[in-house]
Amino acid sequence: MRYALLILLLLTPGLVRAQAEALENPGAVSAIQERRFRMHHELLLGVGVLPANAYYKGLVGTVGYTYHFTDTFAWQIGRGTYSYNLQTSLRRQLERDFNTSPNAAAFQDQVQWMVGSDLIWSPLYGKMAFLNESVLHIEAFLLGGGTVVKLDRDGGFRPAVNVGLGLRLFTGKTLSLRLDVTNNTVFTGATRVIQVPLIQLGTAFNFGATE
Amino acid sequence: MTSRSLIAALTSAALLVSPAPADAQSPAAAQPTSTAPAAAPTQGTPPAGAKAPVDAKADAPDAGKPAANAPTAGAEAPPPAPQKVDPGVFDKALKDYFDGKPRDAAGPLHAWLQAAPKTDENYAWGQYFLARSLIDLGLTHAGASYLARIARERSNPNVLPRALDTLKALTDRPHDEVMIDAQVFGALDLGFLPEDTGAYAHYQQGLVDLRVGNERWANTHFAKLSETSPEASRAKFALLVTRLKQVKEPSDEIISDFLALSEDAKLTREARNEAALAVARLRYERKDFQGALEAYDRVKLPELDPGRASLYLEEAWTRYKLGELRASLGILTTLDAPSFRDEFLPDKYLLRALIYRDLCHYLPAKRAAKELTRRFADSLEAVRNREDLTQDVRLRRAANAHGSTQRAARFLETLELEGERLGRYAGSFGDRLFSHLTKLYDLSRAEAVRVHDARLAEAVRQEADTLLRAAEQVRLMEYEVGLKLYERVKKGARIVAPEDEQILSPTQTAYRFDGEYWNDELRSYRVRIDSRCIEETP
Repeated sequence: MRYALLILLLLTPGLVRAQAEALENPGAVSAIQERRFRMHHELLLGVGVLPANAYYKGLVGTVGYTYHFTDTFAWQIGRGTYSYNLQTSLRRQLERDFNTSPNAAAFQDQVQWMVGSDLIWSPLYGKMAFLNESVLHIEAFLLGGGTVVKLDRDGGFRPAVNVGLGLRLFTGKTLSLRLDVTNNTVFTGATRVIQVPLIQLGTAFNFGATE
Repeated sequence: MTSRSLIAALTSAALLVSPAPADAQSPAAAQPTSTAPAAAPTQGTPPAGAKAPVDAKADAPDAGKPAANAPTAGAEAPPPAPQKVDPGVFDKALKDYFDGKPRDAAGPLHAWLQAAPKTDENYAWGQYFLARSLIDLGLTHAGASYLARIARERSNPNVLPRALDTLKALTDRPHDEVMIDAQVFGALDLGFLPEDTGAYAHYQQGLVDLRVGNERWANTHFAKLSETSPEASRAKFALLVTRLKQVKEPSDEIISDFLALSEDAKLTREARNEAALAVARLRYERKDFQGALEAYDRVKLPELDPGRASLYLEEAWTRYKLGELRASLGILTTLDAPSFRDEFLPDKYLLRALIYRDLCHYLPAKRAAKELTRRFADSLEAVRNREDLTQDVRLRRAANAHGSTQRAARFLETLELEGERLGRYAGSFGDRLFSHLTKLYDLSRAEAVRVHDARLAEAVRQEADTLLRAAEQVRLMEYEVGLKLYERVKKGARIVAPEDEQILSPTQTAYRFDGEYWNDELRSYRVRIDSRCIEETP
């Protein structure tokens, strides 16, 4: 009982102050605006890299289509990525100095192309002041889905789980720039998985958004 | 808003559009080489389409004679005898001008003008290019004075339209209204002018007639304007404002005419906005608050433009009258933005106090009311002590913020700026041009100060009236709120059920305000505040 009284006594000044503040400055102010940029049918053209594998680096091109159900939820119905692979100096050295076979298992993890589908959740939508001269609108999103990866080997079709995050910079009602950083966890065998991260920058064309 | 203040506001709006702010047109005179007539030759030849100034060497008197030393020009000294100038000076000065060196051209052109007889065929060209040189150097008033001289003397019909065009472009900036608007465009013989300049002159002359109350004469000028010209739209606006002053109860026709003007693409955005504001004010006076709100929505601001404080305050009053207390309070938040910190808006505090009172937040209401007397304590003290109100910083700033006083203040500021700028050219202009321009700027400044002071004295009186009225209402408010504060709550009374919170529509987004103002949000603030009023009879 005594402790309860003591706690109440200690809390009193804070409560009084909070109430005084509410009495003096009542209300909360918000800026309510029509959302300026809304997406509907999105066509993505992107370029990027597969940077992680030590034996090759992939330069990729991607085409994708996304349907936006709401401002925060969308389905990237289809995306297809082709990778143009460049062998690294390490691989060349291994083949030259150590006679490693070009068909070695480690080299067969090269991604040739992949197709997949993702769900996209965009909880963040905001704006930034650019040099105090103009306002930029951005959106951040998380995505996750499945991929079929074609590796550089016979019968190289493998399933993968794709997760990632992205950032969209709106440049107009019909055009936005999109940065995706994703990772495909590819199941190459019964117990073996490889990680295929992808960094991609794209231009997204937006059609059919209501004003 | 009283009807008197409404008319005053509309009148000032009409005067505002009278010097026809051009839409994004860069004044031609500002760029020496690019705006020079395209086919203009580099030496002594006139602009394309104009008759060539005759070779100065052949025509100028005293050709080939050595130049005599001119007596030093002093401010009080008698005018010096014309200095002998080599006629080739004209050609060289012209070449300098077209080479983009107005600084090198100005002095010699002036010297040549001093020496050449006024009947010289190139005399008007000399004045014109001297004016252009001065304008290019940022001495617009000096340039305008030479252009006005060309317009008054009318010695060369080829130069005149160009001079008038340049003068017309100068009216977009602070300028000498008497010298340009009244004495040039207001007094021109209009028969010979090209269409554009003629339309502007007709408009100006009609405006002069309207100002002296002669609508019939004004109409004869306005009738000559092509329906598709921007001047015709501006003239319509001026006519409507004049008519508004004459009628007690504005008709639907006047409102619909203003409405049509608010959509007239020939008008500048500023003028269209003025027309929309006029519609809003008229509807407000007729208690059509919803209609007024629609008219305020027609006011289109450039992206990230903060807009005008009076617009927000009027919209806040309209929403208050509509019972949208929270939206009105949101707009008052806008008026606290740094962009409007120096605005003179005594009504703002009164309206805030009224809203808090209506929501039964009596302490904030009292505080908002007191804020007015606190903030304007010095000005109120000055009024009570019958001090010179033009010396009161707030009242002076408020008076200088709109109408004819604002134009006078801006012109005075321009003169002071250009007067300082003139000092930079002391070396390159030579003594004669420099002393002539110094004298010109001194005289013009003295006259501008006189005009400004006269307008200021009247304007501060009006602002002081506004302040006193607001202070009086605030005292009443304080008394009323004081009574409410100590009112007994009857048994069985209960707090009014809180208003349903405004739910965001799926197309909307909300940004919580934390004291940082964004220009793109200024028209979007909304306040969530509960009413503390109690129901006497549950």
